[in-house]
Amino acid sequence: MIDVSGVELGYGAQVVLSEVSFRSGKGEFLGIVGPNGSGKTTLLKAIARLLMPSHGVILLDGKEIGAFSAIGLSRLVGLVPQASSPGFDYSVRDVVMMGRYPHIGMFGGETPADRDAAKKAMDVTGIAQLAERSVREISGGELQRVIIARALAQEPEVLLLDEATAHLDLGHQVSILQMIRDLSRRVAVIGVFHDLNHAAYFCDRIILIHDHRILAMGDPAGVLTEENIARVFGVRAIVRMNPLSGRLVISPVLHPSCEAVKDSRVHVICGGGEGAGILVALRDGGYRVTAGVLSLNDSDYLAAEALGIPCLTEPPFCPISEGSRRDLEMLARDADAIVVTRGPWGAGNIENLRVLSALDAGTIVIMGIASWDGMNWDYTGGEAERILCSLREKGARVTDDVPAALAAVREITGEKK
Amino acid sequence: MSWRRSGVIFLLLACLLGASIVICTLVGPAGVPLLSLAGDESGATILYGVRLPRVISAVLVGAGLAAAGVVMQGLFRNSMADPYLLGTSAGGALGAATAIVLLGGAFSMPLAFAGCIGAAFLVYGISRRAGRVPVEQLLLTGIAVSMFLSAVLSFLMYISGESLHQIFLWLMGGFWTASWQDAWTGLLVLPAAVPLLLLAREQDILSLGEEDALSLGVDIELLKKCLLVISSFVTAVAVSIAGSIGFIGLITPHIMRLWVGPGHRILLPSSMMAGGILLVLSDTLARTAGNEVPVGVVTAFFGAPFFVFLLRRRYAS
Repeated sequence: MIDVSGVELGYGAQVVLSEVSFRSGKGEFLGIVGPNGSGKTTLLKAIARLLMPSHGVILLDGKEIGAFSAIGLSRLVGLVPQASSPGFDYSVRDVVMMGRYPHIGMFGGETPADRDAAKKAMDVTGIAQLAERSVREISGGELQRVIIARALAQEPEVLLLDEATAHLDLGHQVSILQMIRDLSRRVAVIGVFHDLNHAAYFCDRIILIHDHRILAMGDPAGVLTEENIARVFGVRAIVRMNPLSGRLVISPVLHPSCEAVKDSRVHVICGGGEGAGILVALRDGGYRVTAGVLSLNDSDYLAAEALGIPCLTEPPFCPISEGSRRDLEMLARDADAIVVTRGPWGAGNIENLRVLSALDAGTIVIMGIASWDGMNWDYTGGEAERILCSLREKGARVTDDVPAALAAVREITGEKK
Repeated sequence: MSWRRSGVIFLLLACLLGASIVICTLVGPAGVPLLSLAGDESGATILYGVRLPRVISAVLVGAGLAAAGVVMQGLFRNSMADPYLLGTSAGGALGAATAIVLLGGAFSMPLAFAGCIGAAFLVYGISRRAGRVPVEQLLLTGIAVSMFLSAVLSFLMYISGESLHQIFLWLMGGFWTASWQDAWTGLLVLPAAVPLLLLAREQDILSLGEEDALSLGVDIELLKKCLLVISSFVTAVAVSIAGSIGFIGLITPHIMRLWVGPGHRILLPSSMMAGGILLVLSDTLARTAGNEVPVGVVTAFFGAPFFVFLLRRRYAS
């Protein structure tokens, strides 16, 4: 339906995008992502014919968009711009009704069909109750929904969204994007996104723009790779499958200053997501950190990996092997301090605790156990609790949270606060 | 805005306009000739030959300025815009002054008209690039062209010698010389307003912003061209009749927008009626109570404080 081929776009002599080619059509939600100033909006404007390409052609249903009349094109293409600032106090209803102009035309009058379409658009965007309010009195997020409603009232075959949900609260972001994705089964939707997670969740296909060109195009998993994200946005990110949705989740790694600067090494025995906080804190504190033994599908392992922390591992759902146990004994014996987090402990990882019994309890910090009972962290029939209790009696420090554990580590490694 | 409510407002404005015309025709420094009208020939002359054309001219000029004000404010998306933004006022003044200095005052009306139109086209031509006319460009070019034409005007006044007084009178603006010819000329405002009214929906959409309007299917460059031509024409008619009278074109759309809302279909005709009412009342005040002070003085004297009052009330709420 939309066929962009060999398009170059720019303002004056400055070229913003070149060699852009792609196709999209009914039934697809296509996302455009890229850093600020990469030309995402420019591309969208070109499809809406607000900007003429200096090279290449954009076809709509096989016809060059330049050949359409203004009103003819507006019946096919609807645009939700990044920001709108209405100059006067038009009511919400008036502005949504302006979306019907492509169908009403110059000298026509509003028909019941126009009013129905406007009402429907206001209903699905949740602004029906604002109908009589002035568009200059409502909030930015409400205005954005008004503009979305206006584009929906247009009933276009191609809907272009320029960060259309950027100003919306979480609830409206999700409901509007959900609604638009449903809509994209019937019309072509092309949306510029800043939020990579939204793009990954809602889009069928993604175009990644970098350095004035399309760097990658395809399904989210193929485009939003850790490598591409690092190259385009200059940040390390962890891309994983969200267990709740089966879609990608992109989490930037927010610890650029995690170089070890201290001689002391701290070993962290953790699991079940309990260790990520202390791993980050120790790393930020400049300690050399090691961790394990962790299962490869443990989220603490992902955290350690993201932080570049060396880690003893076992394959998923496998108990700790003899070899790993020996490695752990060595790592733990040589560590200046050991942090043990609250479980969960079970048959698979109890070896981690057994190793500790043989060590000097004075170097051990037990973390995150505010009360010893009432918590479901011991699945070993009491063994884990017995080991931890005896460590405490032998002088291991017991702390509640990350800052306290960090302070205890500093004490052990002989460092003043 | 419901049709019912706008109907009531139209009716009210029409009654006010009719009443203003009647009262203003009857009032004047020569007294109220109603009592002595029967059989008194000089009374009829004053009424029919002097006051009525003046009143009609004032109504039509007021309506024209208000219409042009509505159009310019919508086009520039700014309620501070006025009909003279495109240099029409300076162009008209220069045209009239040229006629006064070079032709001894003959053809001052057509030359004023030509000056207005010429200035507007100059501004439009300078702003135009690759078939597009960005409104910011229009605004700034309008200011520059106005300044330039004013400088030429000042030079003309400097070398004008004896005709300086005449130029000065023209510049202050007013209806003291208004004749039936002026009134007939003023009627041109009415047919010019018809296309403006037909383009009401497009003007509404344009005031959301140009890109929004474009993506909603409005041919904005054509629309802008139409609006600029028509509003320049209407302003030129007004200026050639009465000089550049301030505030009517600025304040009337502003007041009416507060009252009837921003929709051009209602705003345009109601502003035209209100502009007519305001200007004819101002002119009557100018010629009776003010002993023929220029009407521009009256409109500014009352208009400016009232405008400030409106602004303050608006920002207070």
